[in-house]
Amino acid sequence: MTDTLSTGVTRELDENALLDAYRTMRTIRAFEERLHDEFATGEIPGFVHLYAGEEASATGVCTHLDDRDSIASTHRGHGHCIAKGVDVKAMMAEIYGRRTGSCHGKGGSMHIADLSKGMLGANGIVGGGPPLICGAALAAKQQRTGGVGVAFFGDGASNQGTTLEALNLASVWNLPAIFVAENNGYAEATASTWSVAADNIADRAAGFGMPGVIVDGFDFFAVYEAAGEAIERAREGGGPTLIEVKFTRYFGHFEGDQQTYRASEVANARENLDCLKRFRSRVTETGQVEAAKLDAVDAQVADLVDAAVDEAKAAPKPTAADLETDVYVSY
Amino acid sequence: MGAVVGVVANPASGRDIRRLVAQASVFPTAEKANMVRRLLSAFAATGVERAVLSTDLGGISAAVLRTLRTRRPGKEAPWPDVEFCDDVTLTGTADDTTEAVRRMRAEGAGLIVCLGGDGTARVAAAACGDVPLLALSTGTNNAFPRMREATVAGLAGGLVATGAVPPETGTRTASLLEVTAGGRTEVALVDVCVSTSRHVASRALWDPATLTALFCTFAEPDGIGLSSIAGQLCPSPRESQDGVALTFAPPHRARWVVHAPIAPGLVLPVGVRAWRPLRVGEHVALPAGGGVVAVDGERELELTGDTPVSVRLRADGPRCVDVPAVLAESARRGLLRTELTPCQRWRRREEAETA
Repeated sequence: MTDTLSTGVTRELDENALLDAYRTMRTIRAFEERLHDEFATGEIPGFVHLYAGEEASATGVCTHLDDRDSIASTHRGHGHCIAKGVDVKAMMAEIYGRRTGSCHGKGGSMHIADLSKGMLGANGIVGGGPPLICGAALAAKQQRTGGVGVAFFGDGASNQGTTLEALNLASVWNLPAIFVAENNGYAEATASTWSVAADNIADRAAGFGMPGVIVDGFDFFAVYEAAGEAIERAREGGGPTLIEVKFTRYFGHFEGDQQTYRASEVANARENLDCLKRFRSRVTETGQVEAAKLDAVDAQVADLVDAAVDEAKAAPKPTAADLETDVYVSY
Repeated sequence: MGAVVGVVANPASGRDIRRLVAQASVFPTAEKANMVRRLLSAFAATGVERAVLSTDLGGISAAVLRTLRTRRPGKEAPWPDVEFCDDVTLTGTADDTTEAVRRMRAEGAGLIVCLGGDGTARVAAAACGDVPLLALSTGTNNAFPRMREATVAGLAGGLVATGAVPPETGTRTASLLEVTAGGRTEVALVDVCVSTSRHVASRALWDPATLTALFCTFAEPDGIGLSSIAGQLCPSPRESQDGVALTFAPPHRARWVVHAPIAPGLVLPVGVRAWRPLRVGEHVALPAGGGVVAVDGERELELTGDTPVSVRLRADGPRCVDVPAVLAESARRGLLRTELTPCQRWRRREEAETA
């Protein structure tokens, strides 16, 4: 028997890494809360689906990722974009439909993409992301980059054939893919406890021969730890993992949703479970980060979001001539 | 009033990170529901009249309800009257187990059965008071709940609930550990472990390098989880009130290196600096040093650098149903058998032929 084997991995984040994680979560929250207000003015075209309340998921996963890695997102994609490093001002401009946006103002909220950051796109098709990520993961495997693909999808998408096919393919091809099921309890207005026959989305992993785990989606450290294990396993050739994160979205399915299908869970989540509050109290109580430094991040993020909105509103809209650009892509 | 039993089944047990970092099993909801069904058949066979079942959003109670509505009387074994704790507001947390057990006690339950792992049993034990507890394993780490066939366990539980087997014969009072840190007190049925991890995070502990101290109510050589470390070094039987206390060291500096199954599929070398028996009533104060405290293998309490930790072993844990002892007593006293006189046999044969 060996005396040196140890599979345990201790991933202690230093102060700078903790501040980075907090900045990401705070930026997502501030971005979404501002959009909630701005959308009500009628200036923003199309729909927006806000990620507030779910920040620990995108941040806990993407903190482990680098330039080798790709993610695929959902209609609720702003948080994933920010966590993967997409420029916040370009995102805001895109949502306002301006030429300075990530996709030159032609995509809007549900189609923000930035391939230079490995962000394959928010996605208006429910269950559209997981098959894309199989492609990204296959490319990483074939080219031996050590990269991984991460698909974020919701409880509604977990019932889609595309998602189930992608889980199967990832397992059969032993792809470096991580499937993050973000279960916020409702697919639009349909409760996941009604629509997901397997009770827990993570339970489905066993049928595809991969590990499936459930983590507290309000806890950055829980997501960070589980994602770290899964991503390291994928990078080392161990294959795919399904991680189910459970939490509550703070706003409606889309802005304007009357939310008659749910009751008091949002107030409880905001008060008692909020990922930002919990992060702040934990890192200050353990002495890892001073509260003043977190306050400074809050102020910087508020300035950034203010500037993003101001610049987006002032930026030009696409013209008729722009209709004919960005239509075809050459490989 | 006839005998009442309560059954609480945790829909979340067997789902944590140990399926990723170890090879822990997935315990499907369908099988948890099957266990409840088997328990109900066994309860009816022992004369239990009413069963109060927990509700959940994981599909266990829904599956049992479906069976209740589709059963064919006369063709399937009888069940007691079944009621659900359907006025409990579910939270998806351990509070659901606590609240369900409270309702079952209020309904006069003479037995609480809990389906889950060590974590579920711990929560049920804290809420069940003097009512006998029967913990069955459907979780990840199962040092406290036993892996038992639910029909057999249900027969034993039913015999205790109906009073056919008296508690002094059929139950055993377990020890428990009480740990206090930063104004919070938690109990553990198996072990309390101090770790240098900073956060509760994904809750499980699986990295021996982070462990600093371990306290066990019992330590069995064939156990799983952290208590197996003591189980292979300094076993302490479940029947003994006393437990054990260990301190860890890196394997290259330790006096002993124990190869212990600290999680399913994870047999790792663990360095132990020292161990000693832990006596009932003994208080152990640990110096403040940060980290986390895990109870029954799950990180629960986060410590700041100036939070002292105190641990105490108590003898007044839950009264647990001793399944082999109950069924041995049943066999001795003939509780599950009938001997017919020649006259009775003749009468039964007549009845059968007439029918």
